[in-house]
Amino acid sequence: MGFRSFLHRITAPKFERFVSSSQPLKMVFVVNHELKMGKGKVAAQVGHAAVQATLKSGELRPELLDAWLSTGQKKICVKAEDANHIESIEREANQHQILTSKVYDAGHTQIPSGSLTVLALGPDEEEKLDNLTGKLKLL
Amino acid sequence: MSALSDPPTMAFLCRVDLQLSTGKLAVQCAHAAVESLQRAKKTHSRMVQRWNESASRKVCLAVEDEAELEHFLQLVQEASLPFAVVQDAGLTEVAPGTVTVLGVGPGPRHTMDSLFRNLQAYE
Repeated sequence: MGFRSFLHRITAPKFERFVSSSQPLKMVFVVNHELKMGKGKVAAQVGHAAVQATLKSGELRPELLDAWLSTGQKKICVKAEDANHIESIEREANQHQILTSKVYDAGHTQIPSGSLTVLALGPDEEEKLDNLTGKLKLL
Repeated sequence: MSALSDPPTMAFLCRVDLQLSTGKLAVQCAHAAVESLQRAKKTHSRMVQRWNESASRKVCLAVEDEAELEHFLQLVQEASLPFAVVQDAGLTEVAPGTVTVLGVGPGPRHTMDSLFRNLQAYE
């Protein structure tokens, strides 16, 4: 080891682990049920949401993303009544410092342009997310 | 060809024979999207960047069964596109280890279109 690496090793701040391995993590997708999208459409929209949420957490909470990626990437899909319902869930999530990503459709197929289709929450601790979405029905 | 007329695309090839519920299928595709993206970041980083900057186009296509999915897996490997095979943990609807979805890309739209031209959109 070079002298500089040695100095760096003893002086650099330790990478903080906010995530204990005992706490299971998951990502939740809240799908707008009012729009009556086809299966393939929902799947693609949830795909968008997953990618957005992954990239966002990679920037803002990399420790959560790493822990989630290495523990099976649990994902859950639930349904919400309409766009207002989704937005109220989003506000609540923001109050609890849970990461959110919204997907709006470009409207090339099936539904009007600009419709809010999916909200992704997390990845975050299962308990925190269950408080928000535990009452919603699975899709 | 300009970037606008040829937006990079990600495709999900979903097995029709499993008759997955909407939520299950959506989650499987999300797995495929994240997994394929993580791999593409390492090997196709410019394509990922272009895909993110465009509309991040995604399409959901139907394949009959596992044999057809594997046939396309081979084509995708030959075309050296990034891909991810999703195997279900089998906790809910299907047997453990069942291959449910093949995620491909992001890759150039014309390449993807010509590879998958015979497939129908998943209904």
